[in-house]
Amino acid sequence: MQEFLQYLFSGVTNGAIYAVIALGFTMLYKSTGLINFAQGEFVMLGALSMITLWSGFELSLPLAFLLTIAGVSVVGIILERLAIRSVRKPHPIVLIIITIGASILLRGVAMLGWGKDAHSSPAFSRNEPFEVAGATLLPQSLWILGIVLVIVTALHFFTRGTLTGKAMQACAINKRAAWLLGIPSETMVLLAFAMSAGMGAVGGILIAPISMSSYDMGMTLGLKGFCAAMLGGLGSSWGAVLGGLLLGILEALGVGFFSSSLKDGIAFLLLLLILYVRPAGILGARAVHRF
Amino acid sequence: MRNILFAVAILLAGLGISSPYHFQLLTFIGIHTLLALGLNMLMGYAGQISLGHAAFYGIGAYTTAILTAHFNWSPWLALPAALFLAVLIAFLVALPMLKLSGYYLGMGTLGFGMITYVLIREWSGFTGGDSGLVGIPPLEIGPVSLSSGRACFYVVWGTVVLGFIVCERLVNSRVGRALRAIHDSEQAACAMGINTAQLKISVFMLSAFLAALAGFLYAHLVSFISPNTFDFLTSIRIVTMVVIGGMASIWGSLLGATLITLLPEWLHIFSDYEMVVYGLVLMVIMIFLPQGLTRGLLDIYERSKRRAGVPSTTAKG
Amino acid sequence: MSDRNAELGSLPPLLRVESVSKAFGGIQALHEVSFEVAPGTIHAVIGPNGAGKTTLFNIITGAYPPDEGGVVYAQQEVRGRKVHELVSLGIARTFQNVELFGNMSVLENVLVGQHVRTRCGFLGAIVRGPWVRREERQMREYSMELLEFVGLDGVADHRSSDLPFGWQRFLEIARALATRPHLLLLDEPASGLNAVETHRLGELLEEIRKRGVTLVLVEHDMSLTMGISDRILVLHQGKKLAEGTPREIQANEAVISAYLGKE
Repeated sequence: MQEFLQYLFSGVTNGAIYAVIALGFTMLYKSTGLINFAQGEFVMLGALSMITLWSGFELSLPLAFLLTIAGVSVVGIILERLAIRSVRKPHPIVLIIITIGASILLRGVAMLGWGKDAHSSPAFSRNEPFEVAGATLLPQSLWILGIVLVIVTALHFFTRGTLTGKAMQACAINKRAAWLLGIPSETMVLLAFAMSAGMGAVGGILIAPISMSSYDMGMTLGLKGFCAAMLGGLGSSWGAVLGGLLLGILEALGVGFFSSSLKDGIAFLLLLLILYVRPAGILGARAVHRF
Repeated sequence: MRNILFAVAILLAGLGISSPYHFQLLTFIGIHTLLALGLNMLMGYAGQISLGHAAFYGIGAYTTAILTAHFNWSPWLALPAALFLAVLIAFLVALPMLKLSGYYLGMGTLGFGMITYVLIREWSGFTGGDSGLVGIPPLEIGPVSLSSGRACFYVVWGTVVLGFIVCERLVNSRVGRALRAIHDSEQAACAMGINTAQLKISVFMLSAFLAALAGFLYAHLVSFISPNTFDFLTSIRIVTMVVIGGMASIWGSLLGATLITLLPEWLHIFSDYEMVVYGLVLMVIMIFLPQGLTRGLLDIYERSKRRAGVPSTTAKG
Repeated sequence: MSDRNAELGSLPPLLRVESVSKAFGGIQALHEVSFEVAPGTIHAVIGPNGAGKTTLFNIITGAYPPDEGGVVYAQQEVRGRKVHELVSLGIARTFQNVELFGNMSVLENVLVGQHVRTRCGFLGAIVRGPWVRREERQMREYSMELLEFVGLDGVADHRSSDLPFGWQRFLEIARALATRPHLLLLDEPASGLNAVETHRLGELLEEIRKRGVTLVLVEHDMSLTMGISDRILVLHQGKKLAEGTPREIQANEAVISAYLGKE
């Protein structure tokens, strides 16, 4: 039981991070119908920038946090302006190749900038671990859960409660109709890219203290985020959170009770399974677009 | 006709070259051409993408390596086993995803490629893990060993010529036209009675077949394999070959494979910038010439040529 | 015309639509629509935009199932069959916005149309034995016949997207005919055509009917519809408003007030 609880803690911690990455995918998919294969690289950039700004330049924690998010969002905006917007034929295969190209490019640049070594940042606060029913809980886990909770709530109020959020949803439903109503749909797409990149950066910031970060971490994390998004139902924000937590917990249990080499396999097996059984995901209300 | 010329050129090249370095380089170009050809059938003609094609390359190589080095099978027995396994796995991977839109196959194959790489590294009892697998026997026909540089060259390029003939015949057949039709308009292809999902799965299996064949050749010609040959970057390299050579262009595969094989040889500082270059190449070509370099340039040429000829056409819609 | 109606009336209908309903979200696209199409006739479906005509087509071709009701084609239930199965059973269609294979030649477009009537698969294509070559030759001959029939044999080698729009419509009809259909559904075949082309289209449709193909068309062009149709079905807001011969429809009070009354 104690062991189980320990795995649960670590699963929920990782799961919360997957949830943020999944939210990045979901954000963009909801407003543009695009799946960004470079999403994982935003996480990598977030983690490495945070480490450099906070541990390297010794900026204060909130400042490093905000600067990292802003910086990665700018990368997202540049990607949209320079690459995605110029595409003449938005066929999925073209967009996949462009975003995967962006992903390799970012990875290559990161390798030149940060080198091939892995880095890590200290924990956000240096408190002693808690003990809960015999299992240890790191304060960093609480930080992660807290931040994810704040983000999800903020996102919820943004889409439901603000004019911009509603405009974004309108664009997602019918771009042309939204444009006719005077909603600047191009700006909305840009905003969606910025937010989705920012979300990826948050995922990276959260991951920096709990695991080693290097230039090639993005693809695995991106894939797991996508898996979480699919699990919960692509396009559903709460589904992304649910899928992320579920993936994190299943991974932790799999590592705990079977083998640690299995860890990265679990996400992929789940992805295959969900594609076979229920492509719409757990909370996916709309049917997945076939053909 | 072109294929005969091509075969003659290969024959002459094999006779004219004597440097082992050149033989080795050309052999690798041939293997890469097979990889690019298979992926080109999938990307160019079926409009689907595989971001984990190195996995099928690896499955071909490791299956034959394990069967011949550990279990003393003859390579000629291991060949059908390797091909069958790759095609079967391709079928299982593609089955759920090809019914969905292109993004899912992209993500699915990406994950599949990564998991295969992890499995090869972790399953060290059979695969040798990170330190690789040694002692793969060379190919033999009767008493003749095909281990010399020239023999390898002929084996690989003979296979490439065969691959070209097969793919060309496919493209210009009922099946190939159906594939191109799907690429142009899936809705209309469906209305013509084409079973799009089944056809896409078949092409995916064909491309896995060619990749596994390349893997088989690679394993026996190099006699040593390690996981890094089959990693994510290799998958991206194959995609880049197809994109450079031009999608839906069989001969473009040759061009793409040649460039991507020679580039690191010519530019030694290239290795550090490899990813940056691939990334930029993929993005720039897809943004400006989505048909790929050769087709894109050809289209531009044809358009400028046609501007005078054909009667003016009203714009659609 | 009425003679033929009486004569054909004794045959079982080729297509029977039985109180079909379909809703998208809260919008009722079709509400209990029923009608029958006798073999060898031309049946028109008219109605203002949004009346549910294209939805009806999509249900008949199996693109999606009706919420309620059923479609019976040649004594077989359509529900549960895939689009490509229905094509091989003899249902072909064209699209409102012309869906050609733009990167393929005019001839190749028609060749693709024969997909369900030919059988060369992967192995056949690779080996390319005598029967495959014979099949390919026959396909090409038949395609050229069809292109001649619609008057496009002169441009067989052109890229289909380079054709003028009107020609594209005719090519799409040739391609649909290549599936050797018993029932051909045409979604607004005259839209975008000029007067001369529309006239030619009318002649062509008559000609197709004479070859034994049953036609159902959705159309806005009244002169074309009234001129060639044996029967007309009027849809209005997803419901059947009227059905009958062109003469009956022109005299129908409900139709005049709802649709023709605009004139």
